[in-house]
Amino acid sequence: MTKYIFFSGKGGVGKTTMACATAIHYALHGRKTLIVTTDPASNLADVFEQEIGHKETPISGIGNLHAMEIDPDEATKEYQERIIGPFREIMPDDVITSLEENLSGPCTTEMAAFDRFIDFMGTDEYEIIIFDTAPTGHTIRLLELPVDWSKHIEESAQGSGQTCLGPVQSLQDSKDKYDRATSLLKDTERTDFIFVMRPEELSLYETLRASKELETIGINSGEIIINGILPEEVCEIEFFRKKYEAQQKIIKKTETAIEKIKRYMLLRDNEVKGIDALKGVAMELFKEGVEGQRFWIKKHKTEDTRLKTEKSILPSGKPDIEKLLLPSGGTKAIFFTGKGGVGKTTISCVTAVYTAQKGLKTLIVTTDPAAHIGEVFDVKINDESTKITENLFGVMIDQDKAFIEYKERIIEETRGKYSDDMLAAMEEELNSPCIAEMAAFDKFIRFIESSAYDVIVFDTAPTGHTLRLLDLPFDYAKQAEMMIDTTEGAKTKRETENRFQKIIELLRNPKQTVFCLVLYPESTPIIESYRAMIDLKNAGIETQLVVANMVLPEEVCVNDFFKNRLRMQMRYLREIQNKFNLPVLQFPMMQEEIKGLNQVIKAAVIF
Amino acid sequence: MKIEIFDPAMCCSSGLCGPGVDPLLIKMNETVLALIKQGVEVQRYNLAQQPKEFMANKKVAELLHKKSKNVLPVTMVNGEVFKTGEYPCYEDICSKLGIKTFKNRPLTVIS
Repeated sequence: MTKYIFFSGKGGVGKTTMACATAIHYALHGRKTLIVTTDPASNLADVFEQEIGHKETPISGIGNLHAMEIDPDEATKEYQERIIGPFREIMPDDVITSLEENLSGPCTTEMAAFDRFIDFMGTDEYEIIIFDTAPTGHTIRLLELPVDWSKHIEESAQGSGQTCLGPVQSLQDSKDKYDRATSLLKDTERTDFIFVMRPEELSLYETLRASKELETIGINSGEIIINGILPEEVCEIEFFRKKYEAQQKIIKKTETAIEKIKRYMLLRDNEVKGIDALKGVAMELFKEGVEGQRFWIKKHKTEDTRLKTEKSILPSGKPDIEKLLLPSGGTKAIFFTGKGGVGKTTISCVTAVYTAQKGLKTLIVTTDPAAHIGEVFDVKINDESTKITENLFGVMIDQDKAFIEYKERIIEETRGKYSDDMLAAMEEELNSPCIAEMAAFDKFIRFIESSAYDVIVFDTAPTGHTLRLLDLPFDYAKQAEMMIDTTEGAKTKRETENRFQKIIELLRNPKQTVFCLVLYPESTPIIESYRAMIDLKNAGIETQLVVANMVLPEEVCVNDFFKNRLRMQMRYLREIQNKFNLPVLQFPMMQEEIKGLNQVIKAAVIF
Repeated sequence: MKIEIFDPAMCCSSGLCGPGVDPLLIKMNETVLALIKQGVEVQRYNLAQQPKEFMANKKVAELLHKKSKNVLPVTMVNGEVFKTGEYPCYEDICSKLGIKTFKNRPLTVIS
């Protein structure tokens, strides 16, 4: 029987590395293994240093190991083809085109990627299947989907018999499939959940939250990997000693807070890339190394002069932050995006404090289902705009609440206009998971449309999902175009089209909207952000700033371990400069985690 | 008494999904509910979800081939094509079926 292992955790904690190392471990032990990623911004290919893509690809150098990256676009095409294929020959071209257009909406994309993912849960071709999933919030959403859809199908069967996926009858098979997947997820004999975290407050908080959420849908298994622990012997420097002590405190806290099997991974002096490095991690992870062997520290000859020369080539001068971020007429929307875990939330909070201090009425909005702005500011942020300090307000888009509000608003607007039967039918239809996505998006654009604030800072979910969110106005504009053009419908059609067109123009206007990429000077965040920049460019949106976060202060990197890490960063900072050709703001690593309003204010000096 | 409606490709026939509530679809939806209450058998097919049904119905298939997708929506009353290119109104369907309009149906208001 196939065993399923899910890797989950906050972005940037090393899920992919741990998942790959685990896959290598099993493959080397003769088990036929597949590693699948459901992250739309996948990094498997970068880690294995070979092309993978939307097919099961053998990993060269490791027998028994296959990998696959689920591409949401490809999955959608396959899903479409399953439905449209049989009609290609017998239907007129424009009918086929209209079918294709319709089956490329936001709903279909979500369903299709999910379908592909769930396909793997029915196969016995492999002994071990490892899922390297997108960051926590979205993974939980993915795992809740079968429950949601199954419920929606069941309810509709008793009502109209229509769901927004199609008639109930033809969905019965899918429902069975969803139910099977759900029970498999709950089966602790066959499915394991491994949470990866870093020894940081925010990471611990998210791990606790995620494991609780999984418990509410009946998933109880789990192990913890605490990754990126500073080795004590390299922390003789004050700056890192303090960080080391802070980490140890969190590790102790984790040990008491979570009663799960734990594994510990030390930080290395260089990034983990390629099969050999991964094998090393696998050995450490499964304690197969020689006792006491410290293979994370490579002895390098330190050449101080070379280090200095590299630093001097780095981008000189700070970008004109004022010109980029402050409004020049009209509200300014500032978007921060990038790979999970690179510090988008912290940078967003610092930016919001900066604009608020300039006397501008600022709102910070988070669209990340695993929202942390409240954690950073140490204030409670909910779905109502809350005052954080002078000129600064925060709000979180809660998908569930947005969903309820949206439903109520529509029902309210229509009450008195329609019969009770109609209202009942509408309520049933409004319970579709499709509407949930629409509702969250609706809330999100209402902030952009309103002129209640001078600056709105958006702390968005990791790259892949942010790009999906930003695709929505384009998708919806297109859908509005397809609405049937009749005298009665024309007004709605026109209004809807105009609304989405306006949003698209706003996003494309560099004076009103600023897109900033946040990254670490490391390989995968650079690759992922670069892809995001290209995707945005294709949608007519120009990125205007790169924030390189966690740059090691040169003066504290005085031993081999940190000199090596600093050298790696220098190499990547240069690459950022050449590759993006954008202003780069370097944000240094701080001695303490930025937590609490006072800390954020202190950090804002860097702007 | 049987009504069949062949909808164009769309997310859902209720008109609630997607970028905005489509009043036209809501109105049609209400018509359908009223007809069902009066004992009329109503079948709805969405091109995006049930393309097979469009091909299986000879008359609809033929219309689609001749006039392409602009012929949709197609409404059939007792197996005969009744209206193409737009939705019929409740009163027209009732008069075609030879039934009275349902008194208790509050009128849908479309501004």
